[in-house]
Amino acid sequence: MSDVLIVVQRYGAEVVGGSEGHARVVASRLARSHHVEIATTTAADYWTWAPYYPAGTSELDGLKIHRFPVAEGRDPEFKAFESKVLNGEHALADEEEWLRKQGPHCPALLEFLKDDGARYDAVLFYTYIYEPTARGVPIVPERAALISTAHDEAPLRLAPYRALFQLPRAFGFLTPEERDLVHRTFRNEHIPHETLGLGLDAPGAYDVAAFRSAHQLGGPLVLYLGQVSEGKGCGELLEAWAAYRARPNPRPATLVLAGTVRMELPDRPDVVALGRIPDAQKYAALAAADALVLPSRFESLGIVLLEAWQVGTPVVVRADNPVTAGQVARAAGGVTYRDADSFGDALDRAIASRESLGAAGRAWVERESSWEAFDARLAQLVALTAS
Amino acid sequence: MTNPSLMVVVQRYGDIAGGGAEPHARSVVQRLRPYFNVEVATTTARDYWTWTNEFTAGLTAVDGVPVHRFPVESGRSRDFRLRERRAFSRMHTLADERAFVEAQGPVAPDLLEHVNKRGREVDHVLFFTYIYYPTVLGLPLAPERAVLVPTAHDEPAIRLAIYRPVFCAPRAIAYNTAEERAMVQRLFHNERVPNEVVGVGVDVPADRSADRFRQRYAIEGPYFLYVGRIVESKQCGQLFDAFARWQDSQGTRATLVLMGHKEMSVPDRSDIRLLGRTPDEDKFDALAGCVALVQPSLLESLSMIALEAWACGRPVICDVRSPVVWGMTYRAGAGLAYRSAAEYAEISEMLIGRPQLASRLGEAGQSFVARTYTWPRVVETYLDLFAEVRARNA
Repeated sequence: MSDVLIVVQRYGAEVVGGSEGHARVVASRLARSHHVEIATTTAADYWTWAPYYPAGTSELDGLKIHRFPVAEGRDPEFKAFESKVLNGEHALADEEEWLRKQGPHCPALLEFLKDDGARYDAVLFYTYIYEPTARGVPIVPERAALISTAHDEAPLRLAPYRALFQLPRAFGFLTPEERDLVHRTFRNEHIPHETLGLGLDAPGAYDVAAFRSAHQLGGPLVLYLGQVSEGKGCGELLEAWAAYRARPNPRPATLVLAGTVRMELPDRPDVVALGRIPDAQKYAALAAADALVLPSRFESLGIVLLEAWQVGTPVVVRADNPVTAGQVARAAGGVTYRDADSFGDALDRAIASRESLGAAGRAWVERESSWEAFDARLAQLVALTAS
Repeated sequence: MTNPSLMVVVQRYGDIAGGGAEPHARSVVQRLRPYFNVEVATTTARDYWTWTNEFTAGLTAVDGVPVHRFPVESGRSRDFRLRERRAFSRMHTLADERAFVEAQGPVAPDLLEHVNKRGREVDHVLFFTYIYYPTVLGLPLAPERAVLVPTAHDEPAIRLAIYRPVFCAPRAIAYNTAEERAMVQRLFHNERVPNEVVGVGVDVPADRSADRFRQRYAIEGPYFLYVGRIVESKQCGQLFDAFARWQDSQGTRATLVLMGHKEMSVPDRSDIRLLGRTPDEDKFDALAGCVALVQPSLLESLSMIALEAWACGRPVICDVRSPVVWGMTYRAGAGLAYRSAAEYAEISEMLIGRPQLASRLGEAGQSFVARTYTWPRVVETYLDLFAEVRARNA
């Protein structure tokens, strides 16, 4: 049984975030077969990094957590400084300073790695971009795994990250697309890696009829599930939807938006916004839909696609989002579209083949995202890392 | 087709005193010139201790190779010894380590800017010496095309956390000896980094004359030779004691000849002859006629003088505690190691009394050098390492 330390910028029940959530799942799964501890900061908020938890050692879900004080949160001038570093004339030293201004600056966590890192067989670092990882991996490279959660974004090219991506013993990627991005950017194909993806609980019982009647929804449904905002591509989705519905002899169909609304919505009978729905209704909504659409251009892992497939619903995603398009290609559980013009045909094809696409998606997700499969990939990552 | 480009980064370069990494870098540059568009990035320092700005900053040429010199913003700090003690103490912090590297010098931020820009336009960057600021902070700026020549030996500094990326991030490492590689891999578990034992080529003139040496310096009878800085840190004091005890206890009459800069007191006795700094030809003449070369130093990443002694066909006497010198001598079957002054005396007597044994050991050294430390092999190994770097980045 090896000793594993997980280093992540925030950790706790109150923390919301993709990589932090992944870290928590990994901690609980690994704890079934390894001795797991967490090293993190006192912050709960990813923007200010303001102290929230007390510093010191505590326990959560039976795991020991070492929390270290945030010495400096995000610099108030961070945005202005960042735009200079990303777009303007600047010195090399500015790139190092940018990392610190971003926060959380937590020197005590780094000292802990220097003094106590060797007690662990493997140290799993979450999120390349923050200082605890960028400065922490170089302290224990011989036992580090980097779960980078990298996107194709400007900071990935900054100086503090160049050596970081050459150092770890192994990489854990969320998707094959992230793996390809990291390999393309850093030419570090020789470093062992494992594509972790995610494990999912079975959907459990859900009631489609109750969902439809609760929201007074009849007829064919096209579902969007998630935050409703321009940033998530919902503006483009609504335009594509309008074009689709304006075609001659449209089939009856309703676009259902389930999620917190953060943008203006058109007032039309074939678009229904439910707001955020309770978790208990999630699978019922997915099962009720003829197809799920995910119009986002930037997504590090489309978890909602996996959930749709769990209940046999096909998905429609953008062809120019490599991550979601890649997921669809691998699972054969949906259709991609390039623009508003091709959206309608894609949607029609998904609905027409709902049965076969949904079945393929379900088979794929049962194979790839079962806890058994996920645990095996995690164990492999730890084995590649432990020294 | 144009040659691939190569940038060499080293803390000092050009006409500077002493041995070690800097002349090593210069001789490698000379040999690699036919195969690469070589350029050097270095500082304006000439002295390895103060790092005082002595050369002019800017672009110049050394041996016809372009050299960019960048100013030293701060040399070795007045409180260097204090910084060193703090960083080497058990309870030190990461900030103490950074302060040590900066206090050690040469701090040259413009050199880093140059590596950051130009270093990513060239095909490879060759960093000499793991320990100084230009490598510690420069290598992480272009790790995917970096090749490191660590010239490392086992010392307190190499155990600092700040050096871990230096040994784990580069694309390849060119070690001086198999012993250095074993030490580094034990400390850093960096076996994954592609590497070779490269070292340097050893050139010795064909015209070597022991008689010429004996006449020039009036030396008679059997003599042992020490070449290098005469300092306590290279165990010269112990050597003098062992030699004197041997001679004072009815040993066969012999002389200990010292060539090099004197930085400690040397016993005033007729059988220890201090010649000071001497021309290279005298060194090779002296090597030709010595019973053996004595290399008492424990901290060497590569003993050039031992390789030169072997190239001249002479054996080496060393301290058994020196991992590199004794490791090489043992592998080569080209000398003997002592554990005490008594053993030092026995070995000396034996080599004087059995000249054929001494010659056989020397010949074994000669063939060891011919196998490993010749320029054609060194150049070929560098070409292979660099080709691997380019293939990875293609």
